[in-house]
Amino acid sequence: MQTDNGQVTYLDAISQALMSEMEADPDVFIIGEDVGQFGGAFKVTKGFLDKFGPRRVVDTPMAESGFTGLAAGAALLGLRPVVEYQFADFISAAFDQIINVMARHHYRTGDPMPVTLRAPFGARLRAGPTHSQSVESYFAHVPGLKIVTPGTPEDAAGLLISSIRDNNPVLFLESKYLYRRLRTSAPLPLEPMPLGQAKVVREGSQVSVITYGAYVSECLDVAAELDKEGISAEVVDVRTLVPLDVETIVASVRKTSRAVVVHEAALRLGYGAEIAAVIQEECFWWLDQPVARIGAKNTPTPTSPPLEDAVLPQAAQIAEIVRRVATE
Amino acid sequence: MATTRARRKSGPKGEPVESRDRQLLLRIFETMALMRATEDRMVSMYRSGDLLGSLYTGHWHEAIAVGTASALRQDDFLAPLHRDLGAHLWRGMDPAQIMASFMGKATSPTGGRDGTLHYGRLDLNIYNPPSHIPDNYPVATGAAFAFQYRSEDRVALAYCGDGSTSEGDFHEAVNIAAVIKLPCIFIVENNQYAYSTPLRLQSATADFSVKAQAYGIPGVTVDGTDVLAVHDATAEAVARARSGEGPSLIECVTMRMHGHAEHDPADYVPRAMLEEWQKRDPVALYQSSLLEHHVIDEETASKVREAARKKAIEARKTALADPLPDPATVEQGVYAD
Repeated sequence: MQTDNGQVTYLDAISQALMSEMEADPDVFIIGEDVGQFGGAFKVTKGFLDKFGPRRVVDTPMAESGFTGLAAGAALLGLRPVVEYQFADFISAAFDQIINVMARHHYRTGDPMPVTLRAPFGARLRAGPTHSQSVESYFAHVPGLKIVTPGTPEDAAGLLISSIRDNNPVLFLESKYLYRRLRTSAPLPLEPMPLGQAKVVREGSQVSVITYGAYVSECLDVAAELDKEGISAEVVDVRTLVPLDVETIVASVRKTSRAVVVHEAALRLGYGAEIAAVIQEECFWWLDQPVARIGAKNTPTPTSPPLEDAVLPQAAQIAEIVRRVATE
Repeated sequence: MATTRARRKSGPKGEPVESRDRQLLLRIFETMALMRATEDRMVSMYRSGDLLGSLYTGHWHEAIAVGTASALRQDDFLAPLHRDLGAHLWRGMDPAQIMASFMGKATSPTGGRDGTLHYGRLDLNIYNPPSHIPDNYPVATGAAFAFQYRSEDRVALAYCGDGSTSEGDFHEAVNIAAVIKLPCIFIVENNQYAYSTPLRLQSATADFSVKAQAYGIPGVTVDGTDVLAVHDATAEAVARARSGEGPSLIECVTMRMHGHAEHDPADYVPRAMLEEWQKRDPVALYQSSLLEHHVIDEETASKVREAARKKAIEARKTALADPLPDPATVEQGVYAD
């Protein structure tokens, strides 16, 4: 199935994927704050209320824990809820329901728990310490959750479709920075894309740059610049943090013998620490340099532009580190 | 000193005992007796070291567990907690399987992945809750949501205690259910203590049913030792929920006669308070009522109590003989296919 021709933003890709799943499966519904008549804080569900009605586009009171638990109960009865959090920052209010109700339910009981938790995450929008967080590491430690972090509109659509069809709770982290910045180059195929598969998004021979989310396009830009200097960087988009596609990452690093892991989340115990550990375990004898990690400083994300820029990894800094790892 | 608050008996006026369905009356009695016998047996098992760890009992909660469950259909959704063993029995759970849960046996509903009170079974439309209470409240609203979504006339019923009412999930669940008119019944088992915390340190309101007013839903307080009062209040709330009129809250007042769990001697509870409540044994009260109204005779009453005792003894033997899970399976099932 294809949409009409033309370019599609990262946001529209998510919107179209969600709509196609709601059209295809009457058990899929969307629930959250302001998702109905307002169309969602970022307008992902604009027009959904008119199309599907209030039964399937459910505006809730301000109650992240309450509507997350509601989704869990509805999933136990065979529905496929898609929960929208206005910002990933607010998902902390639902932490208990996600960790203690959803994530371990299948292990405890054998019952499926098909819930998709959609949360716009990340920084670079001058939104400050409580509207800019990268929450993936809080959840990656918990068995039973899957975590998806698409870096392109195509992946956002395909991975959302698979997340909704998955029988487990899936934390679907949307880059709100990319919402209106990235567009597809071709009409969007609304087909499922398997979870747990990383993708080599640029082939290279001297160094592997492993990243996800908003930093995929950032690292592709850096790789293009380095190419002009004669440095050949391969870029791997992890796409799904849990389950992690170790095979693709390992194959890339064994080929290049050098690795840089990049993300926007704070460096300390950021997901890059897990990836770096896996590389060390699987590629130690192939490595020509220590694995480098790039992440935000271990501070909250400040609001003011010079402060936020000073905290987050910047292209020049990424280029410098990749250049060093690739050439020393 | 913590005292029992005055009870506002605002539940529905019940039908006389003698004109009710005798089969139902008897089944309620049998289930209450089995709950008591099973828990008494498990207290012995706890003391003799048969169980892995804690044992949470529902002595004096029998009328609440069975009074509520008996007012539901088998296809209604139940979200019980640790003092509601009788609700599981009503649905058809075998006491041996409950004991197996407290022993980490492969035959427990979770196959030993979880233990103690975590023995709900979805095939019996019973949620298996985590230890965090009342997380089952929002989950019950989700079941109710699914029924409303599919235009089914099923309802969901969730239990929590006086302590749970202080948690955010209590507020969020009751409020959401009220706003979107979900077919949900919220039971508050007011048993005077949350672990060691008395009512006066839990809530500044006179009773818990007044909180319903703030959500715009009906709330009643009933005597939680009177099984027919609990049953009638639940039946009324269920009828409302089934006909699309939304949720209700029922406070059932009783006493936690044991500690929070069996390790807890509960010496913070005034002895006089326990002595006062000792006179209000829900199983004995109901038995007296059935005898008084000639629903059963002394011989039948003895037979029911004895059958329950024997069933609990047999259940212990079964659970003891049951196998432990195979550690080779420990990594299986983290994710569903």
